[in-house]
Amino acid sequence: MIPVERDTHSAPFFDAAARGELLLRYSPSSGEWSEPAAVVCSVTQAEDLEWRPVAGTGELVTWTVKPGRDAPDTVVGIVELTEGPWLTMWLDIPPGELREGLPIRVGFVRPEGGEPLPIGGLDGERG
Amino acid sequence: MSTAIAGLGMTELGKVYGRTAGEFAVEAISRAVRDAGLTLADLDGLLVNPGVANDTDLRLQSTLGMRNTRLLATVQGFGSSAGQMVQYASLAIDAGMADVVACVYADAPLTEGRSAGASYQGLKRAMRGLGALPAAAGLKAAPERYAVAARRHMHAYGTTSEQLGAVAVAARQWAVRNPQAQMRTPITLEDHQSSRMIADPLRLLDCCLVSNGAIAIIVTSADRAESLRQPPVHVWGWGQAHPGYVNRRGSEFGLVSGAARSGPEALKMAGVSVRDIDIRELYDCFTYTTVITLEDYGFCAKGEGGPLAASGALGPGGDLPTNTGGGELSSFYMWGMTPLSEAVIQARGHGGERQVAKHDLILVSGNGGVLDFHATLVLGSHRKGT
Repeated sequence: MIPVERDTHSAPFFDAAARGELLLRYSPSSGEWSEPAAVVCSVTQAEDLEWRPVAGTGELVTWTVKPGRDAPDTVVGIVELTEGPWLTMWLDIPPGELREGLPIRVGFVRPEGGEPLPIGGLDGERG
Repeated sequence: MSTAIAGLGMTELGKVYGRTAGEFAVEAISRAVRDAGLTLADLDGLLVNPGVANDTDLRLQSTLGMRNTRLLATVQGFGSSAGQMVQYASLAIDAGMADVVACVYADAPLTEGRSAGASYQGLKRAMRGLGALPAAAGLKAAPERYAVAARRHMHAYGTTSEQLGAVAVAARQWAVRNPQAQMRTPITLEDHQSSRMIADPLRLLDCCLVSNGAIAIIVTSADRAESLRQPPVHVWGWGQAHPGYVNRRGSEFGLVSGAARSGPEALKMAGVSVRDIDIRELYDCFTYTTVITLEDYGFCAKGEGGPLAASGALGPGGDLPTNTGGGELSSFYMWGMTPLSEAVIQARGHGGERQVAKHDLILVSGNGGVLDFHATLVLGSHRKGT
């Protein structure tokens, strides 16, 4: 994974991630959740988004496996979180076990020199 | 009022080294102007679409010695840029703002001794903030970003890798007949299936080429075009649709592209139906892009693009000739100028060995981002409505 630096918008997200907590954007006026990068509500375009913690569970929507030439394969997927937003993350799951709808639990990993980034693992309780 | 494409200029395309995008752009425009039977002094409009090397800009105007410029802009709609430029040029000409507009795409990402993949990592993005998460996780270059889209299509509609392979085989069959194509050795479905995995489910032969070079076209009024050197290629209709996918439950990402709205708009403006289209020149950055675009334009039902490709309809002699120069998969990758230039060649009847017999109406697509941007043109070898 490539290190990512924080900016003003992402600071609360990365602070929470360092505690192992996933934050999403929530719009009180619409009651809808949006992805962390969102600046307006992804359903109503309302501008009242605020950070709120979520459980960090979801299902696999789609993925790809990039063969590593002299390194391990990269497994990356789009996860639909239980609250609705999609989040792209590195997957710590063997390629043979990947399927649409696979239950995922979001954790975090910190690449050297960057902020903690979401990583998807098999959700044993729901799998 | 109506407009037409009166000139086409193409440089040598592909592994052509030692020249900048700006130098390619000058050559392409100069060739396009000559092709039309005009001179550089006739140009009063210039639209520039820089590629990933991003070193072509408005200074091209002074490089070309233009002193009567009434329309000048860079257009960056990525793969939809070529279609967009024809649209803006046509609007400007119809409004009386300009008479003769050159539209150019130029890029030089390839360096000698460096692989195409290494040369083409897309536009550089800062790895800062949450917008960088997908790239940090591994969805960075186009193949992996299209791979997740293609896999969604496969899940939803049962599209298979073999069906995608049929798109690649058909494109190569056309390229064999195109002297300007980079890849002219025939391929089989087995070649596709055994080609190296780039980003599962996309294999090497699902991916377009990377090319250096430039292509320019000249847009002018239909009346003026009729007095010029080449058979005019009339602009019948156009559309744009940029889906603005949101990353959330219910997103149509991978399933439906901007073509679903842009296509019907363009056909409506042209006053024709999809059944009237003789030739399809579709943006095929990946085999999957051809499949979803055919569906969204209505050449088959949603989900039937794969079976349609597997039927052989897209290749030479098929019922729905598509990407008749070999497309971006097998001829050259000049973003939206690949399908547009081939449409001009076919509409004029200059396709040589690959010329499609009936070439009255041609649908041209431009697709940018990861299905994020879309432009459509309907072009005709006769004046609109005739």
